[in-house]
Amino acid sequence: MSEQPGKVDAKLGANVFKLDQEPHIVIDTETCRTVCTRRVCLQVCPADLYETNDQGDMTVNWEGCLECGTCLICCDEKALRWEYPRGGFGVQYRMS
Amino acid sequence: MDIAVCVKTNPDLQLMRVKDRAPVLEAVPFKVGDLDKNALEAALLLRDAAGDGRVVAVTVSEGDRKIRETMKEALAIGADEAVIVSDPALDQSDQAGVALALAGAIGKAGPFDLVLFGEGSTDGYSGQVPSRVAELLGLPEIGYARSLQSTGAVLRAERSMGESIETLETALPAAVTVVSEINEPRIPSLMNIMKAGKKPVVEYALGDLALDAAAVAPRRAVRSNLAEEQSRKHVLFDGEPAAQAEALINALVAEGVLGR
Amino acid sequence: MEKVECIVVGGGLAGLVAAYGLAREGVEVMVLERGNYAGAKNVTGGRLYMRPLRRIYPELWDDMPFERPVARELITMLGDGAATTVELASERLSGPSPQSYTIQRAKLDQWLADKATAAGAMVVTDMKADELLRDGERVIGVRAGGDEVGAEVTIIAEGVLGLLSGGAGLREQPRAADHAVGFKEIIELPPGVIEDRWRLNEGEGAAQLFMGDVTRGMTGGGFLYTNRASIALGVVVSMEQMRTRSDELESWELLDAFKEAAQIKPLVRGGELAEYSAHAVFEGGIDKLPRSYGAGYLLAGEAAGFALNALVTVRGMDLAIASGWAAARAALAARAAGDSSAAALAVYERFLRETFVMRAMEAGRGVPRAIENRRLFSEYPGAVARLLEGFFAVDDESSATLVRTSLRGARREFLKIDTLKDLWSLRKV
Ligand SMILES: Cc1cc2nc3c(=O)[nH]c(=O)nc-3n(C[C@H](O)[C@H](O)[C@H](O)COP(=O)(O)OP(=O)(O)OC[C@H]3O[C@@H](n4cnc5c(N)ncnc54)[C@H](O)[C@@H]3O)c2cc1C
Repeated sequence: MSEQPGKVDAKLGANVFKLDQEPHIVIDTETCRTVCTRRVCLQVCPADLYETNDQGDMTVNWEGCLECGTCLICCDEKALRWEYPRGGFGVQYRMS
Repeated sequence: MDIAVCVKTNPDLQLMRVKDRAPVLEAVPFKVGDLDKNALEAALLLRDAAGDGRVVAVTVSEGDRKIRETMKEALAIGADEAVIVSDPALDQSDQAGVALALAGAIGKAGPFDLVLFGEGSTDGYSGQVPSRVAELLGLPEIGYARSLQSTGAVLRAERSMGESIETLETALPAAVTVVSEINEPRIPSLMNIMKAGKKPVVEYALGDLALDAAAVAPRRAVRSNLAEEQSRKHVLFDGEPAAQAEALINALVAEGVLGR
Repeated sequence: MEKVECIVVGGGLAGLVAAYGLAREGVEVMVLERGNYAGAKNVTGGRLYMRPLRRIYPELWDDMPFERPVARELITMLGDGAATTVELASERLSGPSPQSYTIQRAKLDQWLADKATAAGAMVVTDMKADELLRDGERVIGVRAGGDEVGAEVTIIAEGVLGLLSGGAGLREQPRAADHAVGFKEIIELPPGVIEDRWRLNEGEGAAQLFMGDVTRGMTGGGFLYTNRASIALGVVVSMEQMRTRSDELESWELLDAFKEAAQIKPLVRGGELAEYSAHAVFEGGIDKLPRSYGAGYLLAGEAAGFALNALVTVRGMDLAIASGWAAARAALAARAAGDSSAAALAVYERFLRETFVMRAMEAGRGVPRAIENRRLFSEYPGAVARLLEGFFAVDDESSATLVRTSLRGARREFLKIDTLKDLWSLRKV
């Protein structure tokens, strides 16, 4: 987990996100708990969206997703159901 | 039932940046106003309940070719036709000029049983245009409807008065503005977007409506719409807390903020 | 089922150029783009190599919205607390026909979408293609927003992740070993400050690439491109190396550390963050390309693997544009022949070879192996700095001795057999 929480949040605050009701990333937390040993999602996500909650389960703050797909590609155990957000939703880059 | 829906296209405000206290419109797409979509949805429901008729989306433009693309959104949502009053003179128009152009277009493309509006535009939000158009067309007007029903000759509208709900009836034709609670505007399906490109779009110049640039010229000028800037004194006191407090009190007294 | 002649999935550069090329020949073509506008989902470093593109639809580029023509190239090696920069300013970089421009995708892609629309294409935004429709092997259209639409040819230009084509088995799912992740900040600065900081003539731009400490020894680097009134500052790093690190380092920290480095800080001073973005880049090279055509479909742009990550420069936009052009030509040929079978669409490969796309991919063949070599990104940048420090140092020893010692040090550091091997593997880059 990040040593300086909030640092990436401030950056995400500069972006426009159009939020859908449904998450576009769903974690198979059972697989994370029972099979995964490395939890690389915590390390690779450029938006620092992955966290372990109090029960030790993986969670993702999908609302701030930059849609780069790094977590999907890097997940050892294929524990993510990851789609692009519905058309018109998600991050809308204006200057990149 | 034949219904005209007045729509205003505006930049997608969520995508707009503000820099040096001015909006940055570069690369920001335009879309049909949020409340106008509620009006459009209400029109489609009334048309479908009546079983026949047409819904015509009416707008004004300073002549940018892109307006036709933007109006496709209204057609994709379900309007049967679009009418665009297009003239460079409309670029500077205020609400009075816009209302003249809209009323002219509605008169020419009509007759209509009903003229619908959102209660205000997403960007300007003056809420003036509907009443002005109603007046020009000589129509009774109901503002802020949160539900609408039609029996053919009579239109019934409900509006929220905070504590109570008011129910109003009017003979048709009439003009009505709607609030966002009235419905959930539909998101156009791909099929309807594809069909939108084939629906008729009519363009009028001011001359077609017996208007000219002078008629729609603005009658007032906006000098500035920025919030008032307040300058602060930025005084910092150093030293021991007690000394700082003393200095602060003295300064406030000197400013006349604290009594003498 | 409603039908159009061609569907293009993805309103990025590859898809929009393909749509333009088809529409101008009178083909009924529809582009599906999931963003609010073309470019809303797209991230690039910021530099479009223009020279190879001028022959593709020459009428197209005159009013292209660019930020600045690149007139100054800088490569900075960061290591051991030092920065060594090699710099080139040349009339041949800019001049009347600049080699490259910095660009922003929201503007570039929307401009291209307008061109395609004006030529007669239908560009539908806010619309994600959810699935490719199949009839056996054949792709017969897409499902999107609850509707099914058929097409004689579907051009899949969905970008690097290839979710649709991968999901349909037309290509492999992306692997970490073949991809890097890039993330960047747009930092606003006044145009005059940019011109002063990079010593540019008015309106001209700079491209500065960084290797070494930026990536903590991992393959990749940093980049900085000057836009008109902002700079794009970012890091690209190998996904495989990022995910197999044994420490706790998080990817995003690389960019923060980079920005804080003593040698970078003055470049971004006073700037204001305006956007933060991230995107994957394909770096698998020519050996990992999927088959780019089949019955009823073509893959274009990075969805087909057309991108090169050569040391510190990423190239994909020009390849996307050229492959979009080739895809349009292939679809036109299939239409003329009344045949969109895999055999008929195989002409796509020939058109790709006629452009620079395959030549560029071929030239990049050696790169994937070379960039796995971590010495390049960790040891050499520091060694170069130490060598130069020797030259610049002034202290008690006579300067002659100093130069001699530093040269001896350099010999020790560089003239290992590995260095020769590295040089050999880099000769193509
Ligand atoms: C950090 C970074 C730096 C780079 N630097 C450079 C550089 O300086 N120069 C250079 O030339 N290249 C650079 N590249 C590479 C270049 O940006 C890409 O190769 C290029 O953008 C690929 O273009 P494309 O059209 O194939 O795909 P994209 O630009 O990715 O376009 C794909 C489009 O498809 C849409 N889409 C995807 N799926 C769907 C769906 N299911 N339905 C509807 N729409 C969909 C997306 O929204 C998007 O608009 C860089 C890349 C990165 C990440």
